[in-house]
Amino acid sequence: MRKENKGLAAVRRAVLAPYGVWSMIFIVVPLFFVAYYAFTDSSFRFTTENVTRFFTATSTVGGATVHTYLLIFWRSLKLAIISTAICLLLGYPIAYILSRASDRTQKILITLIMIPMWMNFLIRTYAWMTILQDTGILNGLLAKIGLGPVHIIGTETAVVIGMVYDYFPYMILPIYSVMAKLDMKLVEAARDLGCNGWNVLRRVIFPLSLPGVISGVTMVLIPSISTFYISQKLGNGKFYLIGDAIEGQYVANNLHFAAAIALLLMVVLLVCMALMQRYANKRAFV
Amino acid sequence: MRKIIELKGITKSFDGDVVLDHIDLDIYDNEFITLLGPSGCGKTTTLRIIAGFEQPDSGTVTFLGEDLLSLPPHKRNVNTVFQRYALFPHLNVYENIAFPLRVKKAPNDEIDTQVHEMLKLVALEGFEKRSVTSLSGGQQQRVAIARALVSRPKVLLLDEPLAALDAKLRKDMQLELHKIQRASGITFIFVTHDQEEALSMSDTVVVMAEGKIQQIGTPVDIYNEPQNAFVADFIGESNILNGVMLEDRKVRFHGHVFECVDAGFGKNEPVDVVVRPEDVDIVPEEKGMLRGVVTGVTFLGVHYEIIVDVQGFKWMIQTTDFVDVDEHIGLYIEPDAIQIMKKSKYSGMFGDYSSFSNEFDELSDAEAEVEEE
Amino acid sequence: MFTIKLSAKIYTALILVFLFAPIVILLVFSFNASKSLSVMQGGSLYWYRELFRDAETLGAVRNTLLLAITAAVVSTVMGTAAAVGIHRLRSRYLRLAYDTVTNIPMINPDIITGISLMLMFVFVGRLFGAATSLNFWTMLIAHITFCLPYVILQVLPKLQQMDSSLPEAAMDLGCTPLKAFLKVEIPEIMPGIVTGLIMAFTLSLDDFVISYFTSGNGFETLPIRIYNMTKKTVTPKMYALSTIIFFTILALLIMSNLIDTTAPGVERPEKKVRTAEQKKRLRIAGGIGVVLAAGMIAVMIIGAPDRPVLNVYNWGEYISDGSEDSFNTIKGFEKWYKENYGSEVEVNYSTFASNEDMYSKIASGAVSYDVIIPSDYMIARMREEGMLLPLDKDNIPNYDECIGESFRGLYYDPEDLYTVPYTYSFVGVIWDAEQVDEEDTGDWDLLWNEKYRGNILQFNNSRDAFATAQYKLGLDVNNTDPAEWRAALEELKAQQPLVKSYVMDEIYNMMESGEAAIASYYAGDYFTMVDSEADTVDLQFYVPERTNYFIDAMCIPSCCQQKELAEAFINYMLEEEPAIANAEYIMYGCPNRLVYENEDYAEEMGEEAMEILYPDLDQFAEKFNEFAYRNLDSQTLDLVNTLWEELKIN
Repeated sequence: MRKENKGLAAVRRAVLAPYGVWSMIFIVVPLFFVAYYAFTDSSFRFTTENVTRFFTATSTVGGATVHTYLLIFWRSLKLAIISTAICLLLGYPIAYILSRASDRTQKILITLIMIPMWMNFLIRTYAWMTILQDTGILNGLLAKIGLGPVHIIGTETAVVIGMVYDYFPYMILPIYSVMAKLDMKLVEAARDLGCNGWNVLRRVIFPLSLPGVISGVTMVLIPSISTFYISQKLGNGKFYLIGDAIEGQYVANNLHFAAAIALLLMVVLLVCMALMQRYANKRAFV
Repeated sequence: MRKIIELKGITKSFDGDVVLDHIDLDIYDNEFITLLGPSGCGKTTTLRIIAGFEQPDSGTVTFLGEDLLSLPPHKRNVNTVFQRYALFPHLNVYENIAFPLRVKKAPNDEIDTQVHEMLKLVALEGFEKRSVTSLSGGQQQRVAIARALVSRPKVLLLDEPLAALDAKLRKDMQLELHKIQRASGITFIFVTHDQEEALSMSDTVVVMAEGKIQQIGTPVDIYNEPQNAFVADFIGESNILNGVMLEDRKVRFHGHVFECVDAGFGKNEPVDVVVRPEDVDIVPEEKGMLRGVVTGVTFLGVHYEIIVDVQGFKWMIQTTDFVDVDEHIGLYIEPDAIQIMKKSKYSGMFGDYSSFSNEFDELSDAEAEVEEE
Repeated sequence: MFTIKLSAKIYTALILVFLFAPIVILLVFSFNASKSLSVMQGGSLYWYRELFRDAETLGAVRNTLLLAITAAVVSTVMGTAAAVGIHRLRSRYLRLAYDTVTNIPMINPDIITGISLMLMFVFVGRLFGAATSLNFWTMLIAHITFCLPYVILQVLPKLQQMDSSLPEAAMDLGCTPLKAFLKVEIPEIMPGIVTGLIMAFTLSLDDFVISYFTSGNGFETLPIRIYNMTKKTVTPKMYALSTIIFFTILALLIMSNLIDTTAPGVERPEKKVRTAEQKKRLRIAGGIGVVLAAGMIAVMIIGAPDRPVLNVYNWGEYISDGSEDSFNTIKGFEKWYKENYGSEVEVNYSTFASNEDMYSKIASGAVSYDVIIPSDYMIARMREEGMLLPLDKDNIPNYDECIGESFRGLYYDPEDLYTVPYTYSFVGVIWDAEQVDEEDTGDWDLLWNEKYRGNILQFNNSRDAFATAQYKLGLDVNNTDPAEWRAALEELKAQQPLVKSYVMDEIYNMMESGEAAIASYYAGDYFTMVDSEADTVDLQFYVPERTNYFIDAMCIPSCCQQKELAEAFINYMLEEEPAIANAEYIMYGCPNRLVYENEDYAEEMGEEAMEILYPDLDQFAEKFNEFAYRNLDSQTLDLVNTLWEELKIN
């Protein structure tokens, strides 16, 4: 260790100490509690039953026997991935447009994109119900221009719309902040070296914006995989996702099994994130 | 002269890498002393130890006889001019200079007088209200100096302050700094990797490499009597050859025995021989002490720089005479142009211009600027 | 001002339409004259007036702000200090450790952060035998915890961009390390700090999930209050509130643009030196923020009232609270208590979304309430588990006069020791006469009628949903035979293709707008729907022969701290004025003689309502004892839960 002036070292320790202690107690230790509850029964005796149940519980779906929680998990993952992909596809161009706009425009647009985030998320989801239901605003508008009613509420589409809507800004902002710092000379250099527009995007802009994409994907995927309100409201209660399962077990006062589901979800997500980070690091050097 | 700062046995390592290895250094009152060396030689670390930003692993530093290491930076009577100036972007020129006085809670009228005095010293009158980010590099530099001087420290530490300036401006600032030092009578400890800068400004030059002091002396001493191959190469251009000291004032290299002015080496002791490029005369082949073939000629304005192959060793010679590539020439060297040095760990590492190129030299200079700290 | 190409402009516009569509909807519906969130029936400012009369909602807003400001300020201070410390860390391993820990709350879903903190709080609380382990402070801790990483991640880059010699220069020029930090580093990293503060505030303001798991005693934030409205309905009042929030934020943003700070998450490309005027404004704004936060915390700590506080825990929207010109029973009690007992009392009222929700909270030992109002079967369960205290009827003198024989000696409290009934109701079938043939109505088969495929609503809670199938099949809802429950599950699975939606509070919107034609729900709620049904809808109601009758009753949980006060509250709820107010507000049946024998009340409710809600009351007790849900043993509960999951994944 490098020795510093004692006064400075003390100050450094002093400013970091509160956070150090805080993060230990309120970030690290609680995770051990999740593990502790996951591996104990209601009288706090050790058991693997909760974890086993996650993998072995079965139910009958459409005549076939399926693993209940694995299926729930798979469905949550699927919807979350679809939502994340749509956020990325819709958000990436916006981030690009933003980063190339004038300062003033950037500021106004960013503010506009942020504003919905300040509205309560439950209320926003409620408003989507009003829009999407069969007799809702959307179908009313469609009818006015002579288009047939579309049935959206209660379908996967509605749940995905809800997720995309709620987490959209989380995709745009990180990508935008990386792109805004991109040196335009690089684009010129790529053009100079014979890239057409598409190649500039594929070979220069996209690889350089990858860190933003990664953090955007993380920030959308994580909350959409575990949401339980959107699926209840926009899915007409027909979508039972991993978040609903955790909440359901919590409400049924089955804390230990809820902890087990949470623990497994956490492990899967950590592995996913680690893999993604590695992929990103690898890409950075290609 | 009064000793103002004394470093004794300073050792410092970062993560197991030794950056300073038993440094002993005395700094005198009213002196312009330069720490010179390539990046990573420990010169900046030495400066930071004096300023108080680093604490050595062992050794002592005294200031006018009193222990300095136990004092935090803000209680030391030394101020620093930082490499990238470290001007406070949220304050204007006036407030930047006034900063140390405000910290001391000096009365406003006193601050005003002193700041204006400083502005005058660095020739920035009329810039008081300007934002520091709107200033040119040279102007920022002056603000930084003014700010460091306003509280009248005993010692001013300058950490490569000219590195970010362009060549012309750098020359002007060198003169300026020298003038300011004379005018203020404050000890300047100057850190640079630019040997020209070091030679032109300093009273004393300290050449450092790999955490050790290689040589301390006046610029003339350092240039004329380098103590090892590293110093010889780092200060100016040098041809450094393996030689054998036959006896006092007789040295043999390239199979030829030369008269020289050095004495006091052992009989037949292997030594490093230094010959400066400007000290070699070109003569017709038959009149030369050594013979060689010209392999390269570069026109540099004041003189030509030519590379001559003598028995496989490439000499660099600076001359105003024009010779052509492939021409066979003779070299003539006066006895007092030959400087003999004891063998050191740097022997054989420098002084052969086989792979010399002007461009490379510039490139490595530029890198050094970036790398340092 | 737009320097981008046309296609980009169109694209951006479409995205903005997408982002603002729901916002426009809630702006418009906040001016709705009716209670509906899906049918616009003329404009009015009614809901704005309602909002400002709703002390509970305004209290929740105040709580939310208090929490958000405190959490934002604390996490900004601590996070900034942490960023400074982390920035200067030289050990690679320590650095990695801090980076990892800082990333945990960002990579972990909210639900896991919430659960993990809740588990710890509850466990530690139990360890120390604390009466309540979840409260304002645990919520504050949770909010600070998840805001911290965002602050750090905003401030850290600013420190990295800063010339590291700036603080050294300051110290060199005579500043102590602390002064150097305050005078030089802070101004340099200010944009990051401000952004971090705004982000922390935003996240805390909008957080629902983590609050949901860590909230406790009587400290209710807005998102939780909204979530708990799911048994009754979310009213345009909430839209009015959102509209106000929207315009407040808009104003704040415009103001902050004047002070020249950046929008969150955005780097400002070029550095400008602030003018003295801007700096002054910034300082004033900062000052106001700090003073507000300090003041609020001070109020929390010092201003905690020395008068006794009664904690009441009830269903959302389940008490007459002064909204829609009703009588405010809570304020009424405080006044009544002062008049009768001569001392001040304060009611701390909070809400839950379901019996199970309430049970989880109380069973965890995390909260402490004095009066709770659960349903009969939950009362039975809590009584068996020793979670209720017997009432001292001497302190509830109104009981004898008000509660008739029909509501005494019922299964959940055979000796009437623990409970005083609050409301009763039963499940019936609501149908839209515009869409449904009358001849198809009458019993449960309507909910399984192929003709109305895609127009049927089913309960989104396991017990009520299973019950419809069990009543239809003639099974006993209180059976513990797994085979019978499976049979009911199969019946529900068969119904599934016909079901449009599994609903709780969404039923109001869907039935009122004609989105669905058939639903089963609680009797009283039907009247609420009729009140705001669309012109094209004609809602009707019937009660099948076999159906669930339920009673919600006031009881005192064993965690009660103010038993006599709680009994006084229960007694007051039986007084004529509050009882009638509640009955009119909730529109369920009221077991209080003073209410159902009151002529003004009968007139107010109307003939149809009186007929449906107050059938022959002797018969009620009989039906109640025959059909009401009983408490199921934990094995069967677990089975029901599992079967419900099976239904939901189909």
